[in-house]
This record gives sequence, structure tokens and C-alpha cells, in this order.
Amino acid sequence: MATTPRFRWIAPALAIVIALMAGAGSGVLVILKGEQISQSSHDYWLGNRGVGSTRADPWTRAIIARIGLLALNRSETIYFTRYRDSEGRPFNAACTYEVSGTDLPARWWSVTIYGDDDFLPLNEDGAYSVDATRAVRDASGRWRARIAAASDGAPNWISSRAAGTFNLSLRLYNPSRTALDDEATIPFPAVRRLGCEGASS
Amino acid sequence: MKRPTLRTAAIVVFIAVAFTAGHLAVVTVWPWRAMSTAMDRISQDGAAVNQWRHGQRATGKSRRIVRPSPDLANSSCVYDLSDGPVRIRAAAGDGYMSVSLYAANSDNYFVVNDRNAPEGVDMILYRRGQPRPSGAALVVESPSRRGIVLERRLAPSPDRFAEAARARANDICAPLTEGPG
Repeated sequence: MATTPRFRWIAPALAIVIALMAGAGSGVLVILKGEQISQSSHDYWLGNRGVGSTRADPWTRAIIARIGLLALNRSETIYFTRYRDSEGRPFNAACTYEVSGTDLPARWWSVTIYGDDDFLPLNEDGAYSVDATRAVRDASGRWRARIAAASDGAPNWISSRAAGTFNLSLRLYNPSRTALDDEATIPFPAVRRLGCEGASS
Repeated sequence: MKRPTLRTAAIVVFIAVAFTAGHLAVVTVWPWRAMSTAMDRISQDGAAVNQWRHGQRATGKSRRIVRPSPDLANSSCVYDLSDGPVRIRAAAGDGYMSVSLYAANSDNYFVVNDRNAPEGVDMILYRRGQPRPSGAALVVESPSRRGIVLERRLAPSPDRFAEAARARANDICAPLTEGPG
């Protein structure tokens, strides 16, 4: 059956509308999966040199607006986010982890836990982070923090109670010139899974 | 085989352009929307503009801005330069302190900390294209009419937070025509 001229443009117009919506959907997908296009990765710590920058590309700006609105630009603070343990497994509040390292090359640093909604976990433990001013160090200057629902007497504790599939933020305020110039020189904290509820580690 | 017509080629081009336009529209608009939402929340839907709002220690219940730091005492001021420049003052304290400025597209276009301003921050913020005011140690041009000023003070313990709260108690974010000029 022949199509009348009046309706010849319906299919193309529909295709264009669908393409517009698909393009918008792809934009949302990129923003929601932002960590996947991060510009740098160091042992699963993901960073992005465009954070807060007036010269950031539109994708970086949009991703940061979702996961780190009001972040400082790189000259003031370097941020890294981590979603996985040392073996690449996603963090899970049902497991216990140890994050450890030495002092970081910055005026002040911290490691903070966030839920998958990018807010602090909804618990009353008041143990959301370990930072340069409070970290208990051993004789060699190393610190170790337990990430678990209970402290179990650990000198440094980050509570993962009600954190679900959480992630960690590493903040370096007023980083050293060396760290700014070459992130690879930063002694990034290691994150090791110690075990999980009801399963072997 | 039938050769593609000019009409078919045009449709393919239009589809590609539509896909790209949809993608870029979402990516471009997202930060503006995020900032607009943040400004509405901080200013209580515009009721508290050009004035500091001092935050409490961040906990799991802190839901205004994503990824709040539990180790910082944050104060925020939604600025609107429609009626002229805004004065910003932040007293010096003990430890890290910074004042950062965010444009309506979320860019952090300016930051000053206690190392750069050991006596505290004294700043006038004015809109791009308007006459440059004088009368402060720092005069900063805002690329947008509205935006957010964020003050951070290191406060990783309740005692340090109380110190920070005392230090910021008399900080100023107000139209230049009001208060001490």
C-alpha cells in the first residue's frame, strides 16, 4: 500500500524524537556511571584533574555535580574515590576491611566513608572517617583503620553500619607540589578485605 | 540495489544531530540544575540570600549537599548580585580555613585559604560586566549573577567544631550597602 505524502515524514520525525531521547538517556548514563570515565586510577583510587576547574569538560563538570558538588579545585584539594578493595571486589557493609597507609603529602588528609547515595551512612556511630589529626599511628608512622559495623577495639575505626555498597573518599587539602605534579608519587592507602559475614574471605 | 536517496541521507544526519543534541543538553544542564537545587536548599527557597548559613557537624542525616565532610565546619552563603556587590568576611581561626566561590554552573572559580589570608578573609564580590568596586583586600568578579560561597574550617572533633563555631560567629556575607563597608 502506498504511503500518502502527508504521512511520509511521520516515521523520520519519530526516529528523530527517539534519537533525541536516546541521546538524553546516554547523557544520564554517562553522569550516573561517572567513575568509569575517571581520568586517573591508582590502585582503584579514582581521581579527576578537572574537579572544580573552570576548564573542566562538560562531562567532568556534570559528573562532579552529581557526586561531588561544591568540590574545591585541584590547586586547593585533590580528591580520590574508591569503590573496590585490593582485589577489585565492590565494597560491601557485610564485610570487614582494613585501610592502611602512611601520612599523605598534604597539609591535612582524610579517608571518609559514603553510602551509594553519596551521603554519610545513616548510623549514629560518629565514626565516618580517619584523618591526619586523629589517626593513631604505630612506631613506624603507619596507621591502620578498621572498616566494619563495630570497632572491636581497633584504634582507628570507620563504621560501615548501614552503609550498604559503600565507597571511600580520600581528601588531600593543600597537597604538596610533588603530589600535584605527579599523583603517582602519592602513597595511596591500601584497602584489604578481611572477611565477610557468613562467608570465607 | 536501491541507492540511498538524499532524503534518507538527510534523515540519518538529523538523527545523529538529534542524538548529539539530546546528549549534550543533559550533560550541560545537569550542573546548572544541581546548583539551582543546592541554592534553593541552602537559601530555603530564596528566603536567606546574601547571608551565611552555618552548618552543624555533618552526620548521616546531613542531606543538603552530597559527600559532606564530617571533619569540617561548613558555612554557606547563596549570593545574588542583582542589586550590587556582596561583602564577604571570614575571621581567621586556628587551623585550615578557606573561602571558595562557585558559579551557577558549579565551577569553583576562586578560593582563598588561611595561608593566603592569615588575618582572615575580606572580600567584595561583584558581577562580571559591572563596575569594579573597591574597599576590600580582595575584589573578585563572579562569572554568574548567582552562586554559592562556601567557608570550610577544619573541625574533626566536637571541641574543634566548637572553636570553629566561635570563630565564624561574626563572619559576614551581606550586600555591600549594608553593614561595615
